[in-house]
Amino acid sequence: MKAEIKGGSAFSYLDIELDAGEQITAESDAMSSMSAELDMATRPNGSVFTALLKKLLGGETFFINRFTNNTSGPCKITLVQPTPGEIRCVELNGDSLCLQPGAFMAATDGVTLGLRWAGLTSWIAREGLFKLVVSGNGKVWYGAYGALLEREVDGEFIVDTSHLVSYDPSLKLKLQLAGGLFSSFFGGEGLVTRVEGKGKIVIQTRSVSGLVSWINPKLY
Amino acid sequence: MNTSAYQVRVTGELNPGVSRESAVEAFSKLFKVANEKAENIFSKAPVVVKKGVDEATANKIQRALDNIGVQSAVEMATAEQVPQAQAQNEQKSEQSTNGSTLERAIERASNAPLKQEVHATSRLVEEQPGYQFKIEGQPDYAFLTVNIPAEKTLRVEASAMATMDTNLVMKTKAKGGLGRLLTSESIFINEFTSQNGPGEIGIAPASPGDLAHVYLRDETIFLQNSAFVASDMNVVVETKWQGLTKGFFSGESLFLIRCSGNGDLWFNTYGGMIMLDVDGDYVVDTSNIVAFTEGLDYKITKVGGYKSLFFSGEGFVCRFSGKGKVWIQTRSVQAFASWMYPYRPVKKKG
Amino acid sequence: MDIELIHRPGNTAAKVKLQQGETCTAESGAMIAMSGNMDVTTTTHKKKSGGVLKALKRMVAGESLFLNHFEPKSGDGEVWFGANLAGDMMTYNLDNESLIVQGGSFMACEDSVEIDLGWQGFKSFLSGESVFWVNLKGKGQVLLNSFGAIYPVEVDGEYIVDSGHIVAFNETLDFSITKAGKSWLHSFLGGEGLVCKFQGKGTVWCQSHNPGSFGWTLSPGLKPRKA
Repeated sequence: MKAEIKGGSAFSYLDIELDAGEQITAESDAMSSMSAELDMATRPNGSVFTALLKKLLGGETFFINRFTNNTSGPCKITLVQPTPGEIRCVELNGDSLCLQPGAFMAATDGVTLGLRWAGLTSWIAREGLFKLVVSGNGKVWYGAYGALLEREVDGEFIVDTSHLVSYDPSLKLKLQLAGGLFSSFFGGEGLVTRVEGKGKIVIQTRSVSGLVSWINPKLY
Repeated sequence: MNTSAYQVRVTGELNPGVSRESAVEAFSKLFKVANEKAENIFSKAPVVVKKGVDEATANKIQRALDNIGVQSAVEMATAEQVPQAQAQNEQKSEQSTNGSTLERAIERASNAPLKQEVHATSRLVEEQPGYQFKIEGQPDYAFLTVNIPAEKTLRVEASAMATMDTNLVMKTKAKGGLGRLLTSESIFINEFTSQNGPGEIGIAPASPGDLAHVYLRDETIFLQNSAFVASDMNVVVETKWQGLTKGFFSGESLFLIRCSGNGDLWFNTYGGMIMLDVDGDYVVDTSNIVAFTEGLDYKITKVGGYKSLFFSGEGFVCRFSGKGKVWIQTRSVQAFASWMYPYRPVKKKG
Repeated sequence: MDIELIHRPGNTAAKVKLQQGETCTAESGAMIAMSGNMDVTTTTHKKKSGGVLKALKRMVAGESLFLNHFEPKSGDGEVWFGANLAGDMMTYNLDNESLIVQGGSFMACEDSVEIDLGWQGFKSFLSGESVFWVNLKGKGQVLLNSFGAIYPVEVDGEYIVDSGHIVAFNETLDFSITKAGKSWLHSFLGGEGLVCKFQGKGTVWCQSHNPGSFGWTLSPGLKPRKA
């Protein structure tokens, strides 16, 4: 399989060439164009029960699509996320990564997408009661609105809740006010996430909620 | 050798909208050389203007060049190139008594011992004083990281903080008053102060677009109403009523933000950013103006005849005249807002 | 006419340099800035030809009724164009051929190019694409815009493009509406619904992102509109 992320951070899209017999799983509606010979099969994202949980609590689609190359030659497919923004690839070797709801886009065989209890804190921050965890062996593509930047946390670091995309499972997340009570509400920052421990996080430089609250006052 | 194996090459290309004359002038000011020498550089481009510096310095020079609209490339000189170049420099500096060109002037600096080199660099840094910062994610989702020195304060647009160190303290102030209240901006602004040592803040403006930085030295720059991102506390930020005719026809910018004083200022766009060097007159669609320097005269006019006024889709435009800089954005907010119409939920009656 | 594209693919702007005597025709509302000596005239038709009927046909194709013509008055001039939405732009040099362009993607062209309505039949209505297309004919440069990055696909045989991702294609290609998966049920459950299958030999230019998907992602948070 050959995979390449193109389009820069503004409009990342994933160009994949599947060799004979290879397959890839993507969230529904991710396909932008493909060879006519590729076979697409749709199934729930896990069992019906977990797929439903993932949709309701993890922000993912209920169905996922599996594209298989049943021909004898290579076939092309282009995958994309619903919003503009950057896509990243991570290679898992038995380890795991936590993703924000909606960030998952595609994965090779050998990767499982699971749900883990994230705690009430996460729910108050409107991030959902559960967090998405990808684990196993293989490649995962995920993305978000905006450019993605990596930050190394050692100790404590504060991230605006809507800007966190992925993080090492060993990191602890805590919720707190951005400033005093007055500042937190009128300063527009509200609740922020305090990341504790040692590990990597990926942040998005824009957020859909930020975009919406920026444009709303301009709508008549 | 490893740390100083970088060089900066002026490619000879200029940022969009930058005229050669203005670039030459800015270049000669920046490097403190005569106009003719700067002119020489551009006629010989691509030319290496700085050799044997470390990556950070090279990037700094590149940024300084970019600020004046000159495009340059940071390259890593190969191991053989560096000594060779230095050998050449030595040769040249021996005969440099007669007719020195700018290349030589700059080469002399790079030829000097490392200590002096550092000194020369710090002079360049002095050219760009103020807070240390970096901008990532350009040009479509620019993200600003500023290092706030201990006990110093940075003024930041409300809701723009994305990440910060835990030793930063946030205070919210009501700011801008009537102007911001009447337009769609938040009337509050946040101030972040570093306590017990320096701290970093990551700033993400809400609108997708680019960021620009200027350092004001008793200068004034006008920003379109929602373009303010962050500034030093010594920069005076005030809203300025544009007057009824100018303001009314210019769409959302009934008010402009007037920034003056001394210190860093960052502003952002919706869409890509283009800097235009105006000398004479230039027409900009009112919804694409981001910022312009003081001294430029502007008036709101119609484009073409009356038929064009109503049917061209351009409506009113802003005609700048004089000499100065105008920053424009490649997209307009109103166009985005009207595109959204079908996706908005329908208000329920009652 | 010399076109330079800046800030691709995110928020592309086109800088068009015109020599004295050259005219550039652009969709209304596309101009973002221009040199002070630029003369702008607004018509419903191509300069010196065509008529209101053409304009109406163009409007049906999702373009605006009016066109602006830019012509430098004295000496050379320049004009900058930007689209309504974030995204990419491309130029194409027509050589006595025609290019079929999705309604809304046409931005500007040399005045030697004919802008006409392209009818692709009712199938395009079913696919969720615009029913009407713009047909650019003749000789000269054209400037197109898109939502998302533009990537060309050389088709030789068959290729599937999801609806909402087509920018333009050569007239040598033909497309039909089909399902993405093995069965209709899978195609709908999989969120892919109807897709366009291109057949023949030629190039189809796709936009990486679907504006509708983005719109519906923002939808829940947007301020409600009046019914």
